[in-house]
Amino acid sequence: MKKIFFFIIPFLFYTNCLHAQDFEFGKISVEDIQIKHAKTDSNANAIVLKEFGTASIQIEDNYGYSYVDYKYHVRIKILNKNGFEHGNIQIPLWRYTDRDDEITELTACTFSPSDGIMVRTDLDNKQIFLENRSKYLNVKKFAMPNLKEGSIIEYSYTLNKKNIFNFVTWEFQSPIPKIQSEFIAMIPAIYNFNASIRGFLKLTSQNAEISRECLRIQGSKIDCSRLSYIMKDIPAFIEESYMTAATNFRSAIYFELSDVQHLNGGKNNITKTWKDVDYELKNEKSFGGQMKRKDAFKEILPEILKDQPDELSKAKAIYAYIKKNIRWNRYYGKYGENAIKKSLETHSGNIGDINLALIAALSSAGLDAEALVLSTRENGIISDLYPVISNFNYVIAKINIADKSYLLDASEPLLPFGLLPLRCMNERGRVISLTKPSYWYDIKANQKDINRYTFTGSLSSEGKITGHLITYSSGYSAFNKRKKIEEAGSAELYAEKLNEQMPGLRILHHQISNIDSLDNPLVEDYEIEMKSQYDMKAGQIYFNPFFIDKTSKNPFNLNERTYPVDLGAAKEDRVTILLKIPDNFQLADHPKNLAIALAQNGGKYLTDVSFNDGVLNFTQLFQLNKALYGPDEYLSLKELFSRMIQQQKTDVILKKAI
Amino acid sequence: MMLKKVLIFALFYPVCIVSAQQIIYKAADIAPELKNRANAVIRNMETVVDMKAPDEVILTVKEVLTVLNKNGEEKAGQVLFYNKNSIIRGVKGAIYDEEGKLIKKFSQSDFTDESAISSFSLYEDDRVKHFNPNMVNYPYTIVYEYEIRNKQNLLIPEWYATPYSDVSVEKSSYLFLCKPDVKLNIKAYNFQGQPSETKDQKSQSYYWEVKQIPAFKPEPYAPNPDEYRIHVKIAPQDFIYYSSKGSYNNWEELGKWIYTDLVSKKQNTSPEMAEKVKELIDGLSDPKEKARRIYSYVQQKTRYISVQIGLGGFQPMPAMEVDRLGYGDCKALVSYTQCLLRLADVPSYYCIVFAGSRKRSLDKNFASMDQANHVILCLPFKTDTTWLECTSQTSPFGFLGDFTDDRLVLACTENGGKILQTPILSAEKNLTQRSAELFVDENGNVKGKLNTSFKGAQYDNYEQLIAESPEEQLKSLKRLYDLDNINFSNVKFNQLKTEDPQTTESFDLVIKNYVPQTQSRSYLVLNAFNKMNAAPDVMNRKRPLYIGRGYSEEDYLTYSLPSNYKIEAGPQEINLASEFGTYHMKMTQTGNKISYTRKFTLKSGSYPAEKYRDFSDFILQVNRNDYTKVVFNLN
Repeated sequence: MKKIFFFIIPFLFYTNCLHAQDFEFGKISVEDIQIKHAKTDSNANAIVLKEFGTASIQIEDNYGYSYVDYKYHVRIKILNKNGFEHGNIQIPLWRYTDRDDEITELTACTFSPSDGIMVRTDLDNKQIFLENRSKYLNVKKFAMPNLKEGSIIEYSYTLNKKNIFNFVTWEFQSPIPKIQSEFIAMIPAIYNFNASIRGFLKLTSQNAEISRECLRIQGSKIDCSRLSYIMKDIPAFIEESYMTAATNFRSAIYFELSDVQHLNGGKNNITKTWKDVDYELKNEKSFGGQMKRKDAFKEILPEILKDQPDELSKAKAIYAYIKKNIRWNRYYGKYGENAIKKSLETHSGNIGDINLALIAALSSAGLDAEALVLSTRENGIISDLYPVISNFNYVIAKINIADKSYLLDASEPLLPFGLLPLRCMNERGRVISLTKPSYWYDIKANQKDINRYTFTGSLSSEGKITGHLITYSSGYSAFNKRKKIEEAGSAELYAEKLNEQMPGLRILHHQISNIDSLDNPLVEDYEIEMKSQYDMKAGQIYFNPFFIDKTSKNPFNLNERTYPVDLGAAKEDRVTILLKIPDNFQLADHPKNLAIALAQNGGKYLTDVSFNDGVLNFTQLFQLNKALYGPDEYLSLKELFSRMIQQQKTDVILKKAI
Repeated sequence: MMLKKVLIFALFYPVCIVSAQQIIYKAADIAPELKNRANAVIRNMETVVDMKAPDEVILTVKEVLTVLNKNGEEKAGQVLFYNKNSIIRGVKGAIYDEEGKLIKKFSQSDFTDESAISSFSLYEDDRVKHFNPNMVNYPYTIVYEYEIRNKQNLLIPEWYATPYSDVSVEKSSYLFLCKPDVKLNIKAYNFQGQPSETKDQKSQSYYWEVKQIPAFKPEPYAPNPDEYRIHVKIAPQDFIYYSSKGSYNNWEELGKWIYTDLVSKKQNTSPEMAEKVKELIDGLSDPKEKARRIYSYVQQKTRYISVQIGLGGFQPMPAMEVDRLGYGDCKALVSYTQCLLRLADVPSYYCIVFAGSRKRSLDKNFASMDQANHVILCLPFKTDTTWLECTSQTSPFGFLGDFTDDRLVLACTENGGKILQTPILSAEKNLTQRSAELFVDENGNVKGKLNTSFKGAQYDNYEQLIAESPEEQLKSLKRLYDLDNINFSNVKFNQLKTEDPQTTESFDLVIKNYVPQTQSRSYLVLNAFNKMNAAPDVMNRKRPLYIGRGYSEEDYLTYSLPSNYKIEAGPQEINLASEFGTYHMKMTQTGNKISYTRKFTLKSGSYPAEKYRDFSDFILQVNRNDYTKVVFNLN
């Protein structure tokens, strides 16, 4: 009765707390032993039978710092040998400047079937290892003993988490299915957390109630909110390709501290409203403080801005300067780690250092520059319910010139002005300005991913093709090619590599321009020589016009899709071929002229062949007009690629005139 | 004391005391041929190993490196490994600009310290200190000086004159010093000439030096780089390693030490283990049958977990502990299996090997502890020799696969070490046979059944896939048979786990629109499932051509066609024969049915560099023919 009652009105406060408690360690049931597969996933290699966690905030007696007391207990059934990996446990313990996360209690055992009974083997303390991975992270590691198919493993630990800011992130969904997962958060009334639930799955039940006098600080007794969450029959979480962060879709509860009430009556807002966030960021030394450091550029600016007539060219010059002078140290971050001067001196910094320095320099030159904080694709999408500031992990610059805005990230030297790295293309970010309140801003690729190929040449009656192939690339295609040229070491070595990778085609001459002129398309000009693939029958030449930019495999080869397909940017590939045919030949057959499109102008594929005055004219156009496609559009995308692959198998047939 | 050392140095190698800073390294001074294909240039690298005592081996390195461009940045960083048996000291360095003017200095405190646990291990005690200079202007020159004190001399750091293909060398030298009475085994590989040697009452020394070695291009189908790179191995006869001591001059002695001092000490067995073995082999008399039963028991009972701490890097964990915990690394699992076999009176050898798909043998003429990375078990029966891979829960009894096939390994026994050769998986043995009966309808859709068998080195291609859930298997099959619109049903796998094992795969398949049409024709790519990739077309090949493992493929496909399909053009019979292998392709037509046969064999072997062109031509012809189409006229 009670359960049903609370299910309907989940937020009613309630003082009886008997109904939710941890299951007994080591007491496996007949059902545990008999279970052969999960209801939700008959093919799982292992299954979580029960999982129970509690987390509460405590005050350390001697030093008075607060910490999260987190207790975790799980029982897992290993169904087959491939599930053995779930018997190797790793628990990350974060390290901070003054103290480290610690595990204070750890118990683990395996029950393994042996001659019809379950034999218990306890984990030996000598087999528990602590890896000091870096100055930021320790990892507790152990392997469960005596695993067999059908073994049940169980472990529980108490973790003393020193950072209370994100409390505990409870992940209902994991790579293996779960029968039941339960989490109880005990939050003293002096703390307020924003809780957000992500994922598609529904909680089986949730409950909130008051627990009296759960914490004692300096003699005062404080009540706690006791929040409990239960989810049952949880399917395994399986990632798909072309997907943004798994955390966007995996079912879990996230917490972020919003304010702390002091006993003397004062209140310390951590995050509450955007207004608070704005104020905090602007006054944070490693954020707003960096944006304001205009003086760092006073001396060098005149040199950078020399001969730059207008705002746009000034902005470009500063962007180029920062890209060249602070190398990205491969760490993300919305805050700077160093002072701007130090980043410039050591030529190294995280994302915060680089882009906050960029903003400071732009402002210093009198330009209207703002900061845009965002969450990268692999970090997940930002919730707009609360300002959960710790969900942002990246900062870029937004510069407004006349009525246009440009988004800039100076961490990738080969990116042109205004194009962001793919990792930033994640819906939207929040603009933090020193003069205005913050606001949301959509992050969209301002450049399409474009490739244009033009081939002009001639075909000999022996089937040899010679001519010029000119390629224009811009957007991410140009970025990726410039990266490859850089990796190869020079344009010569890049062309040499291309030549080697395409046996049967020879590059006789190459010229690559605009390699360093990032704001212009990359232009490759190759003089090539190749053999038409087929000359199987006397008097006929089979020529496959799709030798440029051929798609032989379908990137969307699966039969269904659960999550959206995210390409990052719209795409356009265009091929034009003008081929002079030997005089005595005529067109006998060719690929059908084709024009197909996705619904609502989502994309298209066109090919066209014509023959005039001994010249074969072939064009192909492939467009994907959106960066993001919903799961319901997956099959149409797949079909578009499929039609392209079919089309590309067919040939132009030329017949000798009799 | 200190003074004396310097004097000795000064006497024989005056260059050593000229400190690196006194010479100005300008980027412009680098010879053009050393810049070709190079991202960085070692201007001068002095490596000194001073073995003062078996438990005091001091490695001192001074390196001057000019970084030419951004791609050389990776080589500009420094990575120093250490563990409980070694101490890093005196790390310092400086960065100079193109003209040799000092930009900045750095020291050990600028290095980041992290654990260095291999991806396959649960825990190891190795750590790493690393540093990146983060420069933005090229070229620049970086100087490193460091010292690593080793408390052991079983593993003397191997010296490589040219560490990377894209780094050229102006000058690099290696000096090894020790007491005059110390006995050493030394082998220099690919070094032209002799080292300069000295010996007096106080010390003996060996000195190698190379100059002007250009960078080179990594090439496909090339042999193991150790076969052409200059490197020097030194193994002192008497050694100390953690708490152990020993002495060896050859594999026989080293194998004996490994067995008696490391392995046998951890091979105590319990009465329960003996009882279990008795139960397992009850009623069996053939030792091979006993071994088969025991191997299967070990596979059921254990799993691979790697923990490497101290001497445990070379010593197995106790057999009784494996028995209790049900896991261990390769050493532990082999030693445990050996114990159980011994309880059944079946003799076996603990064999160390360098494992990996790329074959690498132990150097039979030079014994040292750093040549192996894995352990397997050898069972010397009267009529045959059987090999066991003890870390796998699924390997067939007596089958090693391509992880440890065809190479020299060391059997470690109480009577001494013995070099043995593991079985060869020949091109004929590594056979994939595929047959399919396919039906094409008027719309160009294909339907049918496909059967494939995999033998030899191909046997375990599907090991991972077979372990997956049916849905994941369907996804994996789509990757393996990556044809647009392909769908599978009735998927079955079967494994015949004999000593010549075989995996078979069968399924029904549908490929929508596989045969596309134009106005009046349609196109069928005959070889739907097995196309050979072309080999890169390398100009000016430098290295020999090396094909590590041969294989054979046979494909038999039939297509039943709609009645209006008339062949307009199709391939001739092709028979290619070269020293690298053979290729046969044939299409025949009977009524409305086309049969397609493809047979391809690639042999293993080593060939001189000039032969690469012939090889890539041969592979290109195979590749071209694999994409052959039949064109049908539909009118």
